[in-house]
Amino acid sequence: MSNFRRLPSVRTIFELSHATRLVQVAESLGVFVLLVIVVVGASILAPGFFTYTNLTNTLITASITAVTGLGMTFAIAMGGFDLSVGSIQVLTAIVAAGLLSIVDPALAILGALLTGLAIGLWNGILISKLRLPAFVVTFGMMSVVRGIALLVTQGQSVMITNHIEFGLLNNGKIFGLPVPFLIMIAVFILLSLLLKHTPFGRHTCAIGGNRSAAVASGINIDRVTISVFGLVGVTAAISGVMLASQLMIVDATLGVGFELQAITVSVLGGTSLSGGHGNLVGTVFAALLLATIASALNILKVIPFYQYLALGVLLIFALAIDTARRAFIAKSLLSRA
Amino acid sequence: MNLRQATSKGIGDHRSYGMAVISFLTRYYIQFLLILSVLILGALNPYFRSPANLQNILLQASFAGIGAAGMTLLIVSGAFDLSVAGLLGLCGVMICQLLPSLGTVLTILITLFLGVLLGLLNGLVVTKLRIPAFIATLGMMNIYLALAFIWTQGSRVISVSAPGFDTLGTGMFGALPVPFLVMILTYLVCYGILNGSIYGRCLRAVGSSEIAARTAGLPVDLIRILAFAIVGGCTALAGVFLTAELSSASAIMATGYELTVIAVVVLGGTSLKGGEGTLSGSFTGALFFAVISTALNILNVGAYWQYVVTGVFLITALGVQALRTYVLGAE
Repeated sequence: MSNFRRLPSVRTIFELSHATRLVQVAESLGVFVLLVIVVVGASILAPGFFTYTNLTNTLITASITAVTGLGMTFAIAMGGFDLSVGSIQVLTAIVAAGLLSIVDPALAILGALLTGLAIGLWNGILISKLRLPAFVVTFGMMSVVRGIALLVTQGQSVMITNHIEFGLLNNGKIFGLPVPFLIMIAVFILLSLLLKHTPFGRHTCAIGGNRSAAVASGINIDRVTISVFGLVGVTAAISGVMLASQLMIVDATLGVGFELQAITVSVLGGTSLSGGHGNLVGTVFAALLLATIASALNILKVIPFYQYLALGVLLIFALAIDTARRAFIAKSLLSRA
Repeated sequence: MNLRQATSKGIGDHRSYGMAVISFLTRYYIQFLLILSVLILGALNPYFRSPANLQNILLQASFAGIGAAGMTLLIVSGAFDLSVAGLLGLCGVMICQLLPSLGTVLTILITLFLGVLLGLLNGLVVTKLRIPAFIATLGMMNIYLALAFIWTQGSRVISVSAPGFDTLGTGMFGALPVPFLVMILTYLVCYGILNGSIYGRCLRAVGSSEIAARTAGLPVDLIRILAFAIVGGCTALAGVFLTAELSSASAIMATGYELTVIAVVVLGGTSLKGGEGTLSGSFTGALFFAVISTALNILNVGAYWQYVVTGVFLITALGVQALRTYVLGAE
């Protein structure tokens, strides 16, 4: 973006494209470096951080955010975002918990995912067919869906009592790895393939990069938009199911502020809000980073108010370091070119 | 974009009188919607048209409205500020702590100064550290919230009372609530800045194309930093009146304020893409929000249903506008 202030001469174009690719690699690794630093720091400073139980819990927390963050990355790559994911997460968690008392877990999960898909598709239809700004549509839907969740539960908690095996979605381990983490990895692999290796993924980035050019090249903008918001809805629903299995008791007040978390991990991971490209690896690392910071602060028994302070300072510090590093890489590569 | 093209086409061609009327209606759509909803609600419900209720609507609109004035300028410059909820909470807490010892005038001046200063800080973080506005201001919100929490030892509510200060929240100037008058003044000043000053033109230039503005030699960073400072000042101003109206403050007094303010601006017709903005739209948008929430309370809509209805109203308000534009484009 603004990494290249001075325009290069024509003969350096080849080196420049090479340099750009290197910068891109560095960008996707940027949050990873921070993550390593924070994990090492936490392991030294907070005894009890580097234990199997705590690492597992941190992974689970990170995975729930990351799944929705991955979907959100698509929306951001397309030049929009979705503020309704927090409400979708809580409604689908309630749907899953409610259905569990009637049907078996597979159907309950399916019901939750379909609910998320339906809300997401509806968001997409409003945004594309009526050409409404995504901000207001998803802000409005955030309110509508939260209201539906409150109406369905009448403000009461829904407890999952039968089908205890549903909890395995959270507690289960395969090869020592928690199931939520594996779900997140599966979603990550699937969405990476979708973003990099299908026309749908390329069209998503094309719309975010230059909308008019995408229209001119014959991309069906409406269909891509609706699909992307449907995808975000499904990922939010997966997070909802994961949340339900983690808590085993859900109510309509959960998931407030989740939308900002999901957008944060996406942007922190290197996906620019101006659209045009998505960095899924970065999203995963950023979710892990935030969960690690929160876990370390908890272990260190930092008072909640100071946790806000620490989170704020760390977010800004992390990004400032990241910007400086990127500027340095760009500069050194340019001077070599 | 569509709207603008359609509107200018309709006026420019002078094709028909009807066309001009439609384009006028489309342009001032949100204003007509506001008048229409007030008329319908007033006809349906006697309490709604009572002066006390209308004054209450103006009062409620001014808190989000004052913040939205500054936010419009910032959005025109192509950025936005999520930290306003924390900033407002911090300002409220500070007022409660300082008022007993410093008196009304000095406290307000210090609060506004703090707002502008923290706004400048937001701007510096976004532009000089080159952090995306979304993350930077979200981080700053956490910091401001934490400071307010620490100052109040938690989410404690601190009450405050001073005769002169209370007037700011509950006082009337003629038939109009004082905060509403201040809101009008804020919009006049911001209108002057956006449409009548060189700085306003710079804001639009930076919002339209940052690269072009840089190439043209504009001090892009300085322009954005000042816009953030304006948002900070407006938010502190809203904080003064909200604290005066509630006679109390707490760190979490404005939770969700940031999204409401941005939604007001976008509902008014300003695009988040930057480059252009309408202050009269933001002004009307704030009133429209207040009308909806007041009407839902008067009509005894249950608390849970209010979430649903508010959301549906918001989307419908924009949806009808889009349909009009579509019809206009098709003609």
